[in-house]
Amino acid sequence: MKRLLFTLFFCLPIIGNSATITLVLDDSSLGEMISKIESQSEFKFAYENSIEIEIIIPGKFTFKNEELNNILERLSESTPFDFRVLKNNITIIEDLPAKKYKIKKSVLQLSVTGKVTDVNGIPLPSVTIQEKGTNNGVLTDFNGNFTIEVNSEESVLVFTFVGLKTFETTVGTSKTIDVTLEPDESQLEEVVITALGISRSERSLGYATQEVSGDDLTVSNEQNVLGSLSGKVAGVQVTGATGASMGGTQKIKIRGVNSISGGGEPLIVVDGSPISNANFAGSSGADYGNLGQDINPADIKTINVLKGPAASALYGIRGQYGVIMITTKGGRKGADDLNVTLNSSFSIEKAGNFFPLQNLYGQGRSQTWRTLANGERYVNLSTDESWGPRLDGTLARQFYSFYPEDPLYGQATPFVAKPDNIKNYYETGHTFNNGLSISGGTKNSRYRFSINDTRIEGVEPNTWLKRNNFGLNAAFDLSEKLTLITNINYAGNNAERPVQGYGVKSMIGWIPRNVDMNRLEDYTYDDGTFLNWNLRNPGSSGEVTNFGGLYWINPYVEAYENIDNDRRDRFFGNIGLSYQISEGLKISGHVRSDMYTQNIENISVFRYGSGGSLPQYSIGKYQNKEMNYEILAEYSKKWDEFSFNANIGGNIFDRRYSYLYQATEGGLSAPGFYNIAASIDRPSTTSYLLRKQIKSGFGMVSLGYRNTYFIDASLRNDNSSALPEDNNSYWYPSVSGSFVFSQLLNESPFFGKLRLSYAQAGSDLDAYQTSFVYNVGSIYAGEDGTVNSLTIPNNLIDTNIEPSFAHSYEAGLDLKFFNNRLGLGFTVYRQRNENQILNLDISGASGYGSTTINAGVIENEGFELQMTGTPINTDNITWNSTLNFSKNESMVVELYPGSDVYAHSSTTFSSVPTYLNSYVGKEFGSLIGQAYQRDPSTGKILLDSNNLPLYTDATHNFGSVLPDFTGGWQNSVSIGNFDLSAMMDFQIGGQFFSRTKMILVRTGVDPITAAINDRGQNVRDPLEEGGGVGVNGISAETGEEVTAYVDARRYYNGVIGRHIYEEWLYDASYLKLREISLSYTFNKNNFGNLPFENVTLALIARNPVMIWQKAPEGLDPSELSSGGSSISWFESGQMNTVRSYGVKLNITL
Amino acid sequence: MKKISTLFIVLIIFGSCSKFEEDININPNLPSEASGMQLISNAAFSLSSVTSTPEGAFLAQYLAETQFVTSSLYPEGGTNFYWLYEGPLMDLQMVLDQPELLSHTDGPVQNQLAVAKILKAFFFWQITDRWGDIPYSESLQGINVIAPVYDTQKSIYKSLFTLLEEANNQIVEGSINYDIIYGGDMIKWKKLGNTIRLLMALRLSEVDPALAEEEFNKALSAGTITSNDDNFAFRHLAEASMQNYWYGQIVDRNREWWALTENLVEEMKPVNDPRLEVYGNPASATGEFVGLPYGTTDGSILGTTEYSLLGSDIYAQDAPVYLLTYAQALFAKAEAAARGWINEDSGALYNMAIEQSVLQWTGTTEGVETLLQQPEVAFNSAEAVELISTQRWIHLYMDGYAAWSSWRRTGYPNNLVSPQGKEVPTRLMYPSNEEFNNTENYQEALDRQFNGSNTLYGKVWWDVD
Repeated sequence: MKRLLFTLFFCLPIIGNSATITLVLDDSSLGEMISKIESQSEFKFAYENSIEIEIIIPGKFTFKNEELNNILERLSESTPFDFRVLKNNITIIEDLPAKKYKIKKSVLQLSVTGKVTDVNGIPLPSVTIQEKGTNNGVLTDFNGNFTIEVNSEESVLVFTFVGLKTFETTVGTSKTIDVTLEPDESQLEEVVITALGISRSERSLGYATQEVSGDDLTVSNEQNVLGSLSGKVAGVQVTGATGASMGGTQKIKIRGVNSISGGGEPLIVVDGSPISNANFAGSSGADYGNLGQDINPADIKTINVLKGPAASALYGIRGQYGVIMITTKGGRKGADDLNVTLNSSFSIEKAGNFFPLQNLYGQGRSQTWRTLANGERYVNLSTDESWGPRLDGTLARQFYSFYPEDPLYGQATPFVAKPDNIKNYYETGHTFNNGLSISGGTKNSRYRFSINDTRIEGVEPNTWLKRNNFGLNAAFDLSEKLTLITNINYAGNNAERPVQGYGVKSMIGWIPRNVDMNRLEDYTYDDGTFLNWNLRNPGSSGEVTNFGGLYWINPYVEAYENIDNDRRDRFFGNIGLSYQISEGLKISGHVRSDMYTQNIENISVFRYGSGGSLPQYSIGKYQNKEMNYEILAEYSKKWDEFSFNANIGGNIFDRRYSYLYQATEGGLSAPGFYNIAASIDRPSTTSYLLRKQIKSGFGMVSLGYRNTYFIDASLRNDNSSALPEDNNSYWYPSVSGSFVFSQLLNESPFFGKLRLSYAQAGSDLDAYQTSFVYNVGSIYAGEDGTVNSLTIPNNLIDTNIEPSFAHSYEAGLDLKFFNNRLGLGFTVYRQRNENQILNLDISGASGYGSTTINAGVIENEGFELQMTGTPINTDNITWNSTLNFSKNESMVVELYPGSDVYAHSSTTFSSVPTYLNSYVGKEFGSLIGQAYQRDPSTGKILLDSNNLPLYTDATHNFGSVLPDFTGGWQNSVSIGNFDLSAMMDFQIGGQFFSRTKMILVRTGVDPITAAINDRGQNVRDPLEEGGGVGVNGISAETGEEVTAYVDARRYYNGVIGRHIYEEWLYDASYLKLREISLSYTFNKNNFGNLPFENVTLALIARNPVMIWQKAPEGLDPSELSSGGSSISWFESGQMNTVRSYGVKLNITL
Repeated sequence: MKKISTLFIVLIIFGSCSKFEEDININPNLPSEASGMQLISNAAFSLSSVTSTPEGAFLAQYLAETQFVTSSLYPEGGTNFYWLYEGPLMDLQMVLDQPELLSHTDGPVQNQLAVAKILKAFFFWQITDRWGDIPYSESLQGINVIAPVYDTQKSIYKSLFTLLEEANNQIVEGSINYDIIYGGDMIKWKKLGNTIRLLMALRLSEVDPALAEEEFNKALSAGTITSNDDNFAFRHLAEASMQNYWYGQIVDRNREWWALTENLVEEMKPVNDPRLEVYGNPASATGEFVGLPYGTTDGSILGTTEYSLLGSDIYAQDAPVYLLTYAQALFAKAEAAARGWINEDSGALYNMAIEQSVLQWTGTTEGVETLLQQPEVAFNSAEAVELISTQRWIHLYMDGYAAWSSWRRTGYPNNLVSPQGKEVPTRLMYPSNEEFNNTENYQEALDRQFNGSNTLYGKVWWDVD
């Protein structure tokens, strides 16, 4: 009886068609023969265990440089074995009972059975089980079961499976061995969680993904998890303000700008559930932050970034801009012990990177003192500039001396500088974070529960955040085939956050150099009057009669009396069932949900802007519910050299978002009664409802051959309720392939893979964009009755709009050398985004300011380079290093016929506009503003008849705002129990306008406004005494070159600091040390009597130092953030840089 | 196999279905239907902001800046006109293009259309007088023409005359609803339309006197406004949503940024003009009426307490803003008489105009007689145009654009100053967005009128020396 056997080894193709062998056998054993042939050829033998290799092949054979085929033919004839060649494998088949032959050594035969599962208790098919030191081995079947015959009780079984830790056990007396294979952290990159949570071996992927482990995200206790991705993934750019560390906005872009509108953020998916990353902040006001911050960083196991459309193709219309896949930590099935971890950290925060300021001149518009009728000098209160008299200690009446209840009422005090007045406003903030997690499992369940509490006091007075997180991640086997999986998260936020953007607290420029912050801090007099430093000047009586702030209110009033409070309760997660229908076929269904209620409440006692001087109260209640109903079938099968995976599924996305916003009008009926009921006029109210559904079907097949060649194809169909009914169904295909070329080399010293992909992706539009509506206009309640009105919106809609469409091509190379000590990943890509859904600005003379249409093409090209290395790896010292580097270029290829310019954004300050525009044929996002007028032949500045520079209108193009390169460099060094890790990130190129710097110059607080000129005099000194600012240029009238001195205030305040944005354009290049941590671990190995498993104590610093930047001190180009707006292109009232230093304690029980 | 096919059926039912609930994409937050008169009333709301800007008051040098002296120095830079097209004009054009939106329940449709035409003419007249050639014939067509061509001012004037004539001819008996200007009184609307035509005709006195005279007389014979009750004004309300621009600035924002100019005070104070007490408040330091030299940046001169700031009645929350007044019509007739276009007593019309102006501003005619006897004011046919124009300037207080147009046409008043050497502009610059959004037509318009550059000192068609 002949038995067919199967091979255990990877199939290696023959190099060359034949092999010649020299072989001498003299009553040799079968084993000797096998090893002799294997050593001389590419061939491998395969045979079942029952074939005993100790069997002696009787007789003497001599082959000299003979073809293997001939040798085997001869041996088949002369021995009790048949040798059959299939490609490079030789199968041995027993011909006759071997017992006929002499056996060298008797062998004890032992049969062992068992089951192999993963940590979640899911059976693992195709696990290799090998008897150590032999060729004896089997694979587990589909249910993870195996049976193996071994030689002895001393035999060692080796269980291997890609991506899991190799497990060895001695057989012993047991006849049953059940094994749980744990994930191999060191080989994590080998198995990748891809779209829809499907695990794939990394070698089979034809597109770029990059993973960051949870430990790397919690190094320095950053509260917004997206912020901690900064620099850690090639091609991913994160921008946010450190001053917004209390859950402020962190914007994320993958591979640059992929839409002409500049929007398009990646989809965030937590354990398969897409969650909202909306932002309630505008470009000014309190920065409420992006909602992705609700994820507890300590719960994250890994973040995998799906960068291009091929990777995210299975997310269809929602994945065009990439996907951030977050996998949370879970318990371990079968782990009988309870795992308890405690995390505690405390850090202090300091404001840093202040602008240098002058301390020579104080409040006023001219250096001449103003005097009261009685001859007393007083500071010009009705200005917020520092172009006034010298701060030389002259006795003068200052702002507080005009308040009758002030102890210094009526008194003149020395007029001196307060050099630290701005710094004094900031306090030392602190963050206290405590977390606990409990995880474990039983025979048929696993679970992890976590709780976290964060309390932050900001560096600005009266700013704080309290956040609580609860998380539960669990799975239960309901039967052998049916598993219940759930993941539920709660996040509660309550905060008063700092204000960003230009506003009352943009005080740097507007608080004169003589104003004492400590005087302002105690801001209320007994009679309730607020202390203000800018007031209407005293009239003929010598008294100030109106104590309302003329331009600004006291910043402490803003901090303590004008309050923005936000609260959010949020639940997100999923519950699902997974059923194993049959071998290779599994079906699962999930209900996924993300719901939150956000309340935003504003109290103002007095605020400039729309609310006027009346006290106001407003409250908005925003509710969002996003449901995903998902079903997915997965099928996998392997034939000899082929592997086949298929998935097919469907999803219904359903969103319901509503809000109710109310604000009092006309003041409050009772002082301090902040309630809508207190509104004197009819309160303003908005109610809003949005509903949207997307129904999708999708499928994917993946075919692998010889573990070397892989090809994937996927197709998704999306139907969006936001699209016109007869045109709402769209198909998105993708195809990708990978080729592990190192596999072709024998004993390859490296790993090498080439990958290629193509995908189409799309993105649809918001609800209600396809039908015409009117806007509700004002109401006129006059004597003759009430007249209401409707108006035509300024944006014109297109009722036939289609989803936008992108073609994406990507090629990449992955190499690993020296046993994975050096890795290199390189990806080039090109993406063509067509049929953009644009809010295209059109000539307002058409009756509409913009139109939402399909138009435009934007092309992105770039590369990403990722290098990982372990330069040092000894018993005591390990140094790991990762460098990410990427370049992206976004070209605007086409707009709408007849339109060459797309206006993204504009801002006007003091009647001077600046724009962010995109032009056809140019790089995305040009900065447009006023520049110097220059003489065309010499390039020199043109001067007017007063020798002041002339400037263009706001149409000068200063070039693209986008950076040339971005990246990060991460290093960690372990020496014994010490770990040192540091993260740097950088940007080369990119630029922005700084309005703050412009204002500093305009208001005369910048040092250049009080500098010494080349005549040795202060620029503010009279011209006739050698003062003034030196200018050189060409007279526009005469064409002659002019060198002259002009009045400093006219120059800086009137021209430069007001009109010439060329001066306020800065390069955004920088290199920053973002986080650094030094930790020491006490564990049982080193400290035997430790009551815990291990304890790690770390010193951490976040944002400790800007190593290099091109922009001047005071600005932070790494933190250009303007709340919800999609592109950061100008800085205005940027929040102060915040540096954080702390300690972190981690205890595992 | 059976299992797999069941699976497929489930998936197809589950996923790929392009049917949704019928109303899922219908916006519940905004109305999809309107009554045409609601659109017209929204256009009328925009009248509140047509003339209420400091820039208008600077062009006529009614107000000077007490601090932050910038806008009054006539800085280069575009002034936006999009809001006029996107706002009132598009609302009106929608009604004119789709008269079916108008309902008989709001009054005779013919009358509603006439009101839409009169308002349209008024807005376009404002725009062309400020900027020169502007998009007109191809404008307000939405996606059909996203970059409309610039029409010549001449053709626009002619077209607007026709439009006003159509309006005049189609008005029938019966009042309309939703009218915040005249409470539905169509006789007043008819008079207004003809008065707009009258004033537009006068604007052409220098460039095309024959056409000017012809249109002037047509307008006059169709019937113009006859009393201050007919004044075209936006009557603000004492509530935040319908309040006067200046109230928001001076009271809500606590801004003491504007004082009466020296030019204005020096014109009014010596002749004891009773309107001065309405126009401004006495200086808080002295109780006197003191004007601030226009455009001075001298820190030692600037101040708020030493000068007459804007009058309390002018910035009251519900103070009306005047857009076209009886006195203006009378000044126009006085000038027409002086030019010999009509056979009436120019001096009598001039005196009547001043009397009606004082009545309009102060509520009485007290002081008018003395005022008229002042040698600087008294009529004198040899200097008729100068006197009329100067007095018209005083009357048009706060309607700076109208006064500025009169100055550009006649050269009076002749006391306007050039701050920091900057002359008074002769037009507004096109908004810079036009260079981006309507590049070719914009450039063509500049080439045609101003040698290719978008300047403050180009002259519009009717502004000839």
